[in-house]
Amino acid sequence: MINGELLEVDAHDNMPLLWALRDVLDMTGTKYGCGKGLCGACTVHVDGEAVRSCTIPISALEGKEITTIEGSAVNPILEKVQDAWYVTDVPQCGYCQSGQMMSAAALLAKNSNPSQDAIHSAMNGNLCRCGTYVRIRKAIRAAADNLDQNAN
Amino acid sequence: MERRNFFKITSLAGGGLLLSTYLPLACTSTEVPNIDWEPNFFIRINSDNTVTFICSQSELGQGTSTGLAMVAADELGVSMDKLKVEFGQGSTERYGDVQDTGGSNGLRIVWPSLREAMATTRALLVAAAAQKWQIDVDECYCEDGHIHRKDQEGQKLAFGEVLEIASTLPAPREIKLKEPSEFRYIGKSVLGPKTKMAAKGTTPYSINKKLPNMLYAAIARCPVWEGSLTSFDATEALKVPGVVEVLEVEPTELQTTDYKGGVRPGVAVLANSTWAAFEGKKALKIEWEMGKNGLKSSATIQQELADNYKTPSKANINLNDATTLFGRSSKVFSAVYDAPFQANACMEPLNATAYHRGHKVEVWSGTQAPQLTRDRVAELTGLPVAAVTVNNPPSGGGFGRRYFCDFVEEAVILSEKVRVPVKVTWSREDTFLTSKYHPITKDYWQASLDANNYPIAIKYRGSIGRPGAYRCYPYSIPIAFYDYLKYKDGWLLPRASWRSVYAHPWGLGLESFMDELAQNANEDPLQFRIKMLENAEVVEQKELPWVGDDLYPAKLKNTLEMVAEKANWDTTNDGIYQGVSAMGYNTSYVAMVADISVENNQVKVHKVTAVIDCGLAVNPSQVKAQIEGSIMWGLSATLKDGITVEQGHVQQSNYDTYDLMRITDAPDIEVHIVESNDTPSGTGEVGVPGVAPAILNAVYAATGKRIRQLPITASLLESAVS
Repeated sequence: MINGELLEVDAHDNMPLLWALRDVLDMTGTKYGCGKGLCGACTVHVDGEAVRSCTIPISALEGKEITTIEGSAVNPILEKVQDAWYVTDVPQCGYCQSGQMMSAAALLAKNSNPSQDAIHSAMNGNLCRCGTYVRIRKAIRAAADNLDQNAN
Repeated sequence: MERRNFFKITSLAGGGLLLSTYLPLACTSTEVPNIDWEPNFFIRINSDNTVTFICSQSELGQGTSTGLAMVAADELGVSMDKLKVEFGQGSTERYGDVQDTGGSNGLRIVWPSLREAMATTRALLVAAAAQKWQIDVDECYCEDGHIHRKDQEGQKLAFGEVLEIASTLPAPREIKLKEPSEFRYIGKSVLGPKTKMAAKGTTPYSINKKLPNMLYAAIARCPVWEGSLTSFDATEALKVPGVVEVLEVEPTELQTTDYKGGVRPGVAVLANSTWAAFEGKKALKIEWEMGKNGLKSSATIQQELADNYKTPSKANINLNDATTLFGRSSKVFSAVYDAPFQANACMEPLNATAYHRGHKVEVWSGTQAPQLTRDRVAELTGLPVAAVTVNNPPSGGGFGRRYFCDFVEEAVILSEKVRVPVKVTWSREDTFLTSKYHPITKDYWQASLDANNYPIAIKYRGSIGRPGAYRCYPYSIPIAFYDYLKYKDGWLLPRASWRSVYAHPWGLGLESFMDELAQNANEDPLQFRIKMLENAEVVEQKELPWVGDDLYPAKLKNTLEMVAEKANWDTTNDGIYQGVSAMGYNTSYVAMVADISVENNQVKVHKVTAVIDCGLAVNPSQVKAQIEGSIMWGLSATLKDGITVEQGHVQQSNYDTYDLMRITDAPDIEVHIVESNDTPSGTGEVGVPGVAPAILNAVYAATGKRIRQLPITASLLESAVS
């Protein structure tokens, strides 16, 4: 299941999810950054957990539920995160931001009111060469406040 | 000081105003004809009343597509939400020689011609409406995508309704630009289309490109610069599922203009997916001849620079006869500053897609230099420039590296061989191990001092010095620039531009040295700088490439005075120490104060406060974003890793060995913008060169230890003597 849709992928078992998404399924929102789980650009959710899609072969994903940056329609928290990213004017080049938003959405799904420390530990694996970290912190707070208002 | 008004139009070298006319088809219907009108190469007015802005400059995340679109929207009179943005193609015939994006020049260089073009278009639309209404043009105005009547409120015509007439009218002899009071967007923090796309993950980076029959390529490149390919065995690679073909890539020579050429010898694996190409590459067996660089390391180059410093040299620039003044005292203070090679490490790995069709070539690649790339592809293929199309979508960071077109050359070379579209994607390891790099630098500063230890004159010899090359020296102390330091024989690693280019080592030296001079004179480092700027003359640099205006010490002084106030300079907090720097880059100015603490020789940056003067801030949110990003960039170079070379091989291969600032390391950043109506100048790089010296100066304040080498590590700090 990818973003609520049952999909069959015609690719080699060892192909990492990242490349199946990008080259086979044409879902290019998920980005190649380092290929070794070091930068977080390829972050997606597998059964709700933020994982690096560049290191998971597709054979390990049968029956799993995958959410990508394209999945905001089926993931309201991700949608709120995307809105917060936009109004906070977070992205510069934007290349790492899919992964940043996926990590942030996974954090907020578990902790709707994260402290600075919680934000740091959830986001420390996501690199941004443009240096948008200050705004990422702000946007996560904004998304959390927004979720909080909705919950009330 | 000469003040410049931002609405004063200066002519654009080779560019000027570019207009084309559209000849409408004969149309007998009374309905609005279905035509789109391209009055110039910046916009297309569509018959559905939307306007498409064609961004001539490269969008690398710096926000140029938003800034320029705001200028277009304001001068034309259309809502930003009716404005679509398209990313342009490299074309000297459309844009003149100003399209390549470097030196923080985008907005500054396009601003005059874009405004003139939009004002002309506005005049044509107004004239068309006036003709339709049979009234005087002065009775009409343009706003919100409509032409309105002044005498009858509510009476208006949409752009689409007057296109047919507008496209046939002659351009007015005189055009009137809008007054700043009429701006709706310029000066406001507008969220542009590029931000919206990025927040959805839909930015059309070239790494996403897919074409029918396209092959995905990965290239194994010679790991040592100027080495060569001896032999290769593709047997195992060809067994990898998905691999289609393995081809040798012949190197291209680095051109005198080193933005071109420099494709390394390599072996390309072409496959039906990126992953298969990467896997195939791993299975290649290759023998390389490493050549003379295989014997050299970073230390060799540092020694070569140090040896070169001992050779005789002359002062190429000798401001206020600095050399004579220097000799008036025998008391000389010297310092040497070192910085390592650096990688750009753009998050989007280098990539390009090319389709060579024999008689023409099309390229899709996020590049900073679409014009230079197009010329280079024509050169390489022997085709006329008109047969080469370079599509330039947004890229995931450029920072100078994407000004160099070797990665596009590779795709063209491969597609020429196989005659199907080829996408070359660099692995992350490729971007660290076999790329182009910010050079290693060594800078020698000397000042002769008077009896009170005040500087009389400065001698500088290091990475900068050729007349016409970058220099941005604002102080009143006379200075002499000697020959720049040379390597013994050729590059160990080929050069790339890197955010702020030579301003980084220049800033490291100049702003550390100013601190040391203040310390010698027993003065507060911030007040000392202000004193040295007070009587400084305006530096003529308008005619230098990339620059465009003179250097005004008074502007830099103003940023320093502001930052002192904003950062609460000189009021000590427990355990927090401050360092200051002030830098000009081309025609923008930034002063910054870093608040740090040092514990167990670990430097922690708590806060950086910066003040920028960039003329009129077209989009304040984006200006601040550029300074925030530049500070993080400078902090990575100051506190994290550099690139080191052993036996010709780069030692850093991925983000584990070339670490960057992470969110946990990110200090609070506060950016203040000087209010100004001067011509907008650049913001992408001016924030970088002051970062390292501000941190090092703060480290001195905290520890009494003067570090003159980057990056600053715990062991370096521990072994330093106070």
